[in-house]
Amino acid sequence: MSGSYLARRLSSALFTIALIVVVNFILFRAMPGSPERVILRGTPNVTPAQLEAARERWGLNDPIFPISFDAGGVVVSGDNQFFKFVGATVAGDLGYSFVARGQTVGDVLAQRIWPTVILFGLGELVAIVLGLALGAYSGWRRGGRVDLVGNGVSLVLYSTPYFLLGMALLLVFATGLRWFPTFGMLTAGVTYPDLGARLVDFLAHLALPLATVSLGLVGQYAIVMRSSIVETLSDDYVTTARGMGLSEGRILRHHALPNALLPTVSLIAINLGYVVAGAITVEVVFNWPGLGTLAVEALTARDYPVLQGVFLLLSVSVVLANLVADLIYGLLDPRVRT
Amino acid sequence: MAQSARVRFGRALLASALLGATLLPAGVPALASNHEPLVLRAGTDQDLQVLNPWNSVVVADFEVYTLNYDLLVNFGQDLEPVPGFAESWDQDGTTWTFHIRPGMNWSDGEPATADDVAYTFQLILDAVDTDYGCLGQCYLDGYLLNAGVTSVEATDAETVVIETEFENTLLLQSYVPILPEHVWSEYTLEEIGNHEGVEPFLNDDLPVVGTGPYQAVEFEPGNFIRFARNEHDWRDEQGAPDEVIIQHFSSIDTAVQALRTGEIDYVRGILADQFDALRNEPDIAVVEGIANGYTELSFNTGGNSEGYGGRTAALSDPAFRDALGYAIDTDALVEATLGGYGTPGSTIIPPFHTRWHVPPENPRTFDLAEADRRLTAAGYVLDGDGRRLDKDGNQLNLRLTWPDSEAENATNAQFMVEWFGDLGIEIDAAVTEEGALIDAVTGPPNGPADYDLYMWGWVGDPDPTSLLNFFRTEEIGFSSDSFYSNERYDELFLLQRAESDEEQRLAYLTEMQELVYAEAPYHILYYDAELHAYRTDRFGGWTLQPSEGGTPLFGYGSFGYTKLTSLAEPTPEPSSAAPSGAASPPPSGGGETPASTDSTLLILGVVALVAVIAVGLVLVRRRPSTEEE
Repeated sequence: MSGSYLARRLSSALFTIALIVVVNFILFRAMPGSPERVILRGTPNVTPAQLEAARERWGLNDPIFPISFDAGGVVVSGDNQFFKFVGATVAGDLGYSFVARGQTVGDVLAQRIWPTVILFGLGELVAIVLGLALGAYSGWRRGGRVDLVGNGVSLVLYSTPYFLLGMALLLVFATGLRWFPTFGMLTAGVTYPDLGARLVDFLAHLALPLATVSLGLVGQYAIVMRSSIVETLSDDYVTTARGMGLSEGRILRHHALPNALLPTVSLIAINLGYVVAGAITVEVVFNWPGLGTLAVEALTARDYPVLQGVFLLLSVSVVLANLVADLIYGLLDPRVRT
Repeated sequence: MAQSARVRFGRALLASALLGATLLPAGVPALASNHEPLVLRAGTDQDLQVLNPWNSVVVADFEVYTLNYDLLVNFGQDLEPVPGFAESWDQDGTTWTFHIRPGMNWSDGEPATADDVAYTFQLILDAVDTDYGCLGQCYLDGYLLNAGVTSVEATDAETVVIETEFENTLLLQSYVPILPEHVWSEYTLEEIGNHEGVEPFLNDDLPVVGTGPYQAVEFEPGNFIRFARNEHDWRDEQGAPDEVIIQHFSSIDTAVQALRTGEIDYVRGILADQFDALRNEPDIAVVEGIANGYTELSFNTGGNSEGYGGRTAALSDPAFRDALGYAIDTDALVEATLGGYGTPGSTIIPPFHTRWHVPPENPRTFDLAEADRRLTAAGYVLDGDGRRLDKDGNQLNLRLTWPDSEAENATNAQFMVEWFGDLGIEIDAAVTEEGALIDAVTGPPNGPADYDLYMWGWVGDPDPTSLLNFFRTEEIGFSSDSFYSNERYDELFLLQRAESDEEQRLAYLTEMQELVYAEAPYHILYYDAELHAYRTDRFGGWTLQPSEGGTPLFGYGSFGYTKLTSLAEPTPEPSSAAPSGAASPPPSGGGETPASTDSTLLILGVVALVAVIAVGLVLVRRRPSTEEE
């Protein structure tokens, strides 16, 4: 991989992140309602002087952008909300949460990021392994029994929303059969005799949300992989390989599979963005203490600083995932490296 | 108290590292006993983020701090004053003397004295003099300020003398936790109030030190708070649970399922259809309580006068507002919007306050013909097209809005559009983003007062005073959203607040309720229901607070918890508590071991399957490479 390819990809990712920071700033400033009044609503004995003091403390009296317009014309000010926001964001200071009163947004996000990474990391992994295997086998044995059943099931799973799938699993396996707990990541307040017991409890809680995430993703991976394999198998070089007398298994593994993987790499990368949307519903159904439930809580409570933090974190991770996908693509397909 | 208070994949190695990180035993204090603690688990849809009581906003926050701490005077079953941190008290005019229980200790064993009361109350008095004017989220200061507290002094270890500006009994209703001076005095007022620029004191150094029946020993913000019994509790009557866990649910549907499986014992905030479904479940009881609050239709009584953004002067006319009251079928709203759970609205003191709620002498009934008659009599006549005109001859076209956070008001709005439409009044109904709405309904000089009609709600305190505050003239620009102004009402407000005689106070409160009902700055649409449910197979002694229209938990203080009894079989040595049993969810009763064994087998099966597939794929990938070599 050439250095210029890497540099191009990196600078493009950095540029996107910079844009995200700007959009994040504008979006939340454009929201209706003045923050000090929203926070202080219903609190007794708030005087205009206190409201004014709050505005001053929170810098709301400063101009929003470095350049603003008033009656006297263009005003340029270094002391503005935008510069302060960018400076603080670059320094990693995302402000204080309104709801988790007194805690920084960074702390709040840190508590919630690992449950989501574990759930969706494992969910993606299981879906990639199962989906690609199923898709490759279906495409290779097109029209066979696995293809017929697998394709049907894949389509159904692909079209089922996460929360519906999750609710169904919850009702059958948790409320009905009582094989799994209904909510959470660990049983609250239990003292575990050893790490093994903690692991078993964790896995019991993980099973249903993980199944929901994996099943939700496996359908689309299988479908894309299947059509990609079918297309590749009809390519000239596969016919050539057959003419050379190579075994079908070998053709699949060495010639068809590597080429058929390309579209799925971009699919998986694009998917990471959608997974975030899915995270919200799966986590809410199973009360999984991750970023999804956090985003919902922050939204209902109008915790703008936390929402801003979640947006920033999620959009930056999507950009990074795409960067990784680009780099992997470059490794898999030499043609894109130029 | 306002109503508003109302991802990615990685390699297997990385995944297992993360797994390991999650599974490392966190700081869960082990219970040094050989029997399983009896744990009460209560679910709520409210977020759990607060251990510092001054940051409390929602009901769950208040529940948390009244488990940790006592109030100076606690609330009894019918919200009557009962001994709390103070054992007894006397009032002499504006001077109150509180007697602190001798020999009482904090949960860490330190003596709990009058100095702690003086310290806590002084925090509020000191905070008033700062830039911020209040502590934390500013919800608790009002309890002392409304009671007119001017000074607090500990005259000896067991006596606190409090002076108030005027004679009143509100001090006995003050929802302020008494904090341990020896813990809190290490922090500054700014740290305690979580002011910017200082390291905030979050009170999350566990266990919390308090005198309440249970203290927080484990806190996962946004997830749960676990409380353990206070070994130094002064109460004679203690609840059966050794531990209490308050669990947050993002979806109340999930909480209801967890109640069914017995993973939790109690749920607050159930929806009407779930409530119906739970009625017939075995081992589950449902409770329909009355909320201490209401949902109202508010008028911009400033109309289009200077400083107000209403469309017509008709909004300022009590006769116009009164007539529209006949065009609202509150029974239909309770049925359609609340699924039948709730009470049709009348006066501004909800029936929850059994001592103070007085139904109106001449209640309005739903009668569109009567509304039409009254509008015409008041000078609002129909034009040739059947459109109602205001006194300036303009067609009446009013905006009706509600906050996006209260979606059920969309149903109410549909009805209003039809009913008012029948009277020839055109209604433009549209939802408004909550933040924008708060701005719009703020009166002059702090806001534009830019609306005609809007729906929202309020939640009250044990005393009705806070609910009466919104109609005072001096609240315009602050909490008043109807901009109602009436000299007699303002006078009555102060009179009732300073009145110690119950009968006389009721007379004042009756007049205030009548006045607002007649002049109708608000039409109270309904008093919401509090729908709770609990399991009856593990704990008994569920006691409603208040006894009529109350709920067993999430009421006022720790009362309900102290009444609980255990229904568990006496199992001193639970031999079935195999290692997997300890880590499985605690289902109801005894069927614990089989369930956990089943799930263990199943999980192991799933793990094995994933492992086989993974290994298989790796082998498939590998074999050809060896072939090639």
